Amino acid sequence: MKHLRERLGEVVESDVCIIGSGISAAMVADKLARTRLATIVVVEAGDDVPPLDRRAGLRQRFLDYDENPWPRDHLEGYDVEGPLQSRSMCVGGLAMHWGGVTPRFSPEDFRLKTQFGLGTDWPISYEDLEPHYLEAEEVLGVAGEQGPPEMDPRSKPFPMPMLPLSYNLALLKEWVTKAGIAMWSQPSAKNSVPYAGRAQCCRNDTCTPICPIGAKYSPDFTWNALRRTNRVKLHTHTLVRRLEVDARNRVVRAVAVKVGAARDAPGREIEFRAKQFVVAGGYVWSSHLLLSSRDSRFPNGIANSSGLVGKYLTGHRNVQAYIRLPMKLYPGINEQHSLVSKQFMRVPPRSDGRYLRHDLRVWESTSGQAPRLRDDSGALMLGDEILSDWRRRTEHGVARVRAYYDVIPDRSSELTLDGSRKNPWGDALPKLALRDAPESAEVRAWTEDTIRALFDEMARTGNGQVQRTQSDEFQDHPAGGCRMGKDPATSVTDSWGRAHDHENLFVVGAPTCVSGSCANATLTFCALSLRSAEEIGRSLPGKSP
Amino acid sequence: MISRRRFLVWVSSAVPIALVTRRADALAAAWIADDVATLRALAEAILPADLGRAGTVKVARDFQRWIDNYRENAELVHGYATSVLRFAPASPRAKWSAQLAELRRLITASPEARREMVRADIKDLRTDRMPAVGAAPHVALGLLAFYYQSSEATDLCYRAEIGRERCRPLSASRRAPLPLGGGRHETSP
Repeated sequence: MKHLRERLGEVVESDVCIIGSGISAAMVADKLARTRLATIVVVEAGDDVPPLDRRAGLRQRFLDYDENPWPRDHLEGYDVEGPLQSRSMCVGGLAMHWGGVTPRFSPEDFRLKTQFGLGTDWPISYEDLEPHYLEAEEVLGVAGEQGPPEMDPRSKPFPMPMLPLSYNLALLKEWVTKAGIAMWSQPSAKNSVPYAGRAQCCRNDTCTPICPIGAKYSPDFTWNALRRTNRVKLHTHTLVRRLEVDARNRVVRAVAVKVGAARDAPGREIEFRAKQFVVAGGYVWSSHLLLSSRDSRFPNGIANSSGLVGKYLTGHRNVQAYIRLPMKLYPGINEQHSLVSKQFMRVPPRSDGRYLRHDLRVWESTSGQAPRLRDDSGALMLGDEILSDWRRRTEHGVARVRAYYDVIPDRSSELTLDGSRKNPWGDALPKLALRDAPESAEVRAWTEDTIRALFDEMARTGNGQVQRTQSDEFQDHPAGGCRMGKDPATSVTDSWGRAHDHENLFVVGAPTCVSGSCANATLTFCALSLRSAEEIGRSLPGKSP
Repeated sequence: MISRRRFLVWVSSAVPIALVTRRADALAAAWIADDVATLRALAEAILPADLGRAGTVKVARDFQRWIDNYRENAELVHGYATSVLRFAPASPRAKWSAQLAELRRLITASPEARREMVRADIKDLRTDRMPAVGAAPHVALGLLAFYYQSSEATDLCYRAEIGRERCRPLSASRRAPLPLGGGRHETSP
């Protein structure tokens, strides 16, 4: 019977089964394939993405009509309550449309409790993660500029020279320098020179949502390389609904169903057996799968003896401003590139006991400068009137300035199963609610006022004026839900991402984060995943050099 | 027999029955093609003179191509922080065709009179901002929005070859863009 099911493709066996095919999954698969002799199977609910040679056309449709350049990159019936980062569910995941921005967290992020007396320390330090940051930068291909070493510690140069500061950014850097702020070129997974067989960036400026030439790293490049050489077997249109655990607490199978446009019988069940399972479903679908794997023995889901699966969802909010400056800028030279600073991330505890850490980025902007149809008196303009008005209003420059600030997550910042919403197979969908810990909630208004005051000061220094500011409720780069820690009572995984409750189950990337820092987090997700891969690989035979 | 103009006006105000809309769209496509002269006259009336005749004709042609290639119900880009999916609304083609038919008088009007005729037609529309092209309530606004979102319009505004959203050498980003029509590079400090 078993052999018949295997022949029918209903049972797939491997050494390592990775669930999800986003950027964290790609890091794990790539490292295991590079360093270990192992059969690797990857299971993805969504479809393959269009190949590189179709992307110029898809990008043009996006520019002309606002069409999704990744058509059908989602599953039907997945309208989730709460702040879902994205509907994307496809080979490559959300990182198919990421901005490619790759700062590191700072050393303080890993020791908030020790250094500032709030939140929770990570079980690893920045120094523990540093080799994996380097590795992630190599794998993704990061172009970067070394910032002042005291703000931007790193042990080796970036693999590629920095993306050049555009004419606009050079002028803006002069301005922020006068304001006493050290800024430099934002590290990015975009090719400043040809890299890994991919082209040099040519400023198409649609990094989000699509790079038409492959100058920005996206996980499909890794999957293409691994599949071309038969180093992984990737099953698309295959939704893992639950993991099953044996009497020894080992995960023994992932039970899945063929979904959507699956050519081979939608609705057909398929079972994945492996020595090790890696859950790489991001901050939503990782916790969701563990919670959905509940049964009579694990009524709260698996890996959940702490009761913390789905808890401590984390991210960072932002305050941003548009500052009018007396300088001539030419918006559009390289709009998605920015200056970055860690000056306000690398701070000691304040003497007044309040906590504030934030990053800072500066872009060229056209805010408030778009061509318009009516003049200040409300009269309709046509012909040369519109152009003259536009030229007059663009004689000065505008900078977009944004600070992500730390938000300490509350235990009730959580993903739960929503009994009122089910997917087409009857499984409860997740419900998301991100909530601040009391120590963050208390200082939120003061935090945002302080950042706005910084923006005012920056504007004054440049003889400029803040045109408008805005604060987002949404917490960007969400993570957590399976946080790592030393104590199984207060964490879901150990520092390697191994579930405390199941020795052959790993959760990788975003879900394992203890806190979300105040900088874009994807590089950290990648570094954590590569670190997990090191541990996963220890039980597998190594490749001879 | 119902006139073309009356039929289009009726279609644009009718309930959106898919079959009727599709039929109207098919007819409208042909009629816009018939009304190339009107579209050009409209473009000359409302686009900046700096474009010149050839530039204006090109914008009108590209705008028509935009309409022709519009896909109703196409999945639109989905943003962050929401699970809501968006799809392209019905094509504005039928509505715009009807409006264009109303504007045929532009062809015989003087250049000065054309602009005032268009202004009279749209001055009462709620049009503070440049709309998204497909959401423009009037063909004249659709054409304006189409042009002013273009990379060429940005270049004309700044009188510089910025080439926004076009593939350009990365190394050239360090310099100020060349003035339109050629010139020397200016390097930032």
